[in-house]
Amino acid sequence: MTERAEAAARAALAYRALADLAETVEDEWQYVTDLTDAYLPSIEALAGAAAPLPAGAMDAVDEAIDEIALITDPHKAIDWLSTFPHVVAIALGGDVDEGPETAPTERADDAEPEPPEPDDDPPFKLLRFHR
Amino acid sequence: MRFQDAARDARTVVYAGIQADPLVARVAGLLVAATPAERWMARAVMNGERTEPEIWRRIFPSLFGEGPAAAAAEFLGHAEKLLAASLEVANRGEQARSSYRGAIVEELTAQLLARRSGTVKRERRVLFDGVPAEIHPYDVTVESAAKPEVYDCKWGARGINADVLNQLDDARTHAADEEIELDVAIVVFDARRSADIRLDRSTARRDGTRLVALETFDELAKARP
Repeated sequence: MTERAEAAARAALAYRALADLAETVEDEWQYVTDLTDAYLPSIEALAGAAAPLPAGAMDAVDEAIDEIALITDPHKAIDWLSTFPHVVAIALGGDVDEGPETAPTERADDAEPEPPEPDDDPPFKLLRFHR
Repeated sequence: MRFQDAARDARTVVYAGIQADPLVARVAGLLVAATPAERWMARAVMNGERTEPEIWRRIFPSLFGEGPAAAAAEFLGHAEKLLAASLEVANRGEQARSSYRGAIVEELTAQLLARRSGTVKRERRVLFDGVPAEIHPYDVTVESAAKPEVYDCKWGARGINADVLNQLDDARTHAADEEIELDVAIVVFDARRSADIRLDRSTARRDGTRLVALETFDELAKARP
């Protein structure tokens, strides 16, 4: 396993732990799940980037992992579910704003679209005008 | 349609004190000139648990001397100033921090909009003939007679909710009833992807509402078509 792959794997493991903490906020379970479903594969995909590892990247990822390991408040964990993938992407020199590339046989536009899920709205009660 | 100052209650008086803190304008001013990576650094620091600058320099080596982006002293100096200012916010403590972060996003939005318009105001309500007034004011408004704009600002995508989306869309619709093209937008200092994920689960009408995210903040300073 390359250094880059090791760093991405460690970041993905830490991200799963962060998501476990975040999903204890019951009203935000769906949002936490959606964020995790989107970003976790993108973090894992950082392992495959062809570019050389930037200077300081390994230390940066480990420090970022240490930072999120300190979080005990699940609400703060939700904030970091969006932030952490971008911090790791900046360190490793990649992008987490798009999903990982799909194999030619699994093109996204070939897939059957899933029906939209109903929005049962409970998160909005707590989050009224949350800054 | 007309704009009006929001009524001031105890909460808004306290919040106005935070909005007026010079630290808010200083952080926002640094964010105006920041790169996307610097903006992510600021977001991380102001959300962070640790407040030792050397830790954040290690987390963002490309901004602090080890990568090509830091090769120019200009970039290095700006990142250091932004780090120091972001740590000042983080050091205000957990309770104050969230108010500061909200105020910073509003001020950043206002500063960018002011680059193209001289009529940028804060904490304003929009009134329409025959329509009960909304309780909550808009964070930032551009009060142009020809192309008025209203902005609701959020630190994180999690702040997007049905109430905010409905208020923005209602305002746009009522303005259209008066044959006024009101531009409505929600601004989040967070990833566009996270905001899209949040919006995907909402059934509130938002097809006429613009989304401005961390990666696209600079669009605020550009003239609207």
